[in-house]
Amino acid sequence: MDYTIRAANVEDCKDLTRMIMELAEYDKVSDEMTITEKDLEQDGFSKNPFFHGIIAEVPEQHRTKEGHTKIGYALYHYSYSTLGRRSVFMMELYVMPEFRGKGIGKALMSKVAQLALAAGCTVLNFIVLDWHKSSLDFYFKQGCINATTDLGYHCMICSGEDFEHLAQP
Amino acid sequence: MDYIIRAANVEDCKDLTRMIMELAEHEKVTDHVKITQKDLEQDGFSKNPFFHGIIAEVPEQHRSKEGHTKIGYALYFYSYSTWKGRAVYMVDLYVMPEFRGKGIGKALMSEVAQLGLAAGCTKLNFIVLNGNKSSLDFYFRQGCSDVTADLGYHYMSCSGEALECLAQP
Repeated sequence: MDYTIRAANVEDCKDLTRMIMELAEYDKVSDEMTITEKDLEQDGFSKNPFFHGIIAEVPEQHRTKEGHTKIGYALYHYSYSTLGRRSVFMMELYVMPEFRGKGIGKALMSKVAQLALAAGCTVLNFIVLDWHKSSLDFYFKQGCINATTDLGYHCMICSGEDFEHLAQP
Repeated sequence: MDYIIRAANVEDCKDLTRMIMELAEHEKVTDHVKITQKDLEQDGFSKNPFFHGIIAEVPEQHRSKEGHTKIGYALYFYSYSTWKGRAVYMVDLYVMPEFRGKGIGKALMSEVAQLGLAAGCTKLNFIVLNGNKSSLDFYFRQGCSDVTADLGYHYMSCSGEALECLAQP
């Protein structure tokens, strides 16, 4: 199937919001989603963006039942580690279910890796939920390692009221 | 004990490099840390920095045995979550052993949270090594939670030849 992988622009925010919600439903976290299309426009496409995006798009003749041609995305931002220096963190990777198995997920991830290397990054990091066995298998096939099981990395978070409380001097 | 917490500047890179290596020794990862003072200057203090830093400094009369007054640091960068929006990621947090137990680590972490709040962030993320019990206890006391243990978040990594292979179209 023909598809293109390209940088996301502000006009993609409507479809990005749609697909982010689809992924949240799959991850069973849609109740926790507070982000809006306006947030994405502001945070991803203004002067100092918090993230960057790439979109997978198919021609009109392959559009979905609902008429969508934007059928996958990846979001990433630049990050840092005193171990590996410049890195890229891939926040999300998603392909609509009816377009899976065609190499589109791999192509999106490959594009993120290319952009990472071009920016002088040496590592690509991301999070996977431990019950996502098919995702884990996909990532292992791409040569990724699981730093949680192999090196004991635990992801920590401080949010909401705890975060505000921590910020008190 | 008197101390100040302030933004790091390029002149701090020598002490930052020293303390990064001290932290690496403590975490037994010195073989993996290849960062140099020049790398830090380039990556943290040029036009589009990959990270920001804060330093904990004591007055001359409290300098360390080796004569250092810069005795702790935190490095951080801005990140993003499609659930909750803007976030801040803490790369490293370190206080020299002889200056621990005086609230300096908490003050550094609190400053990162303040800076994050000021930038519109709603959460703080970071990694802790599973075997680091005293650090985990410290972070739990600050209201943090372990989303690897609680929610199954696994931290994945792709680097070196695997990253270059992934980047091939």
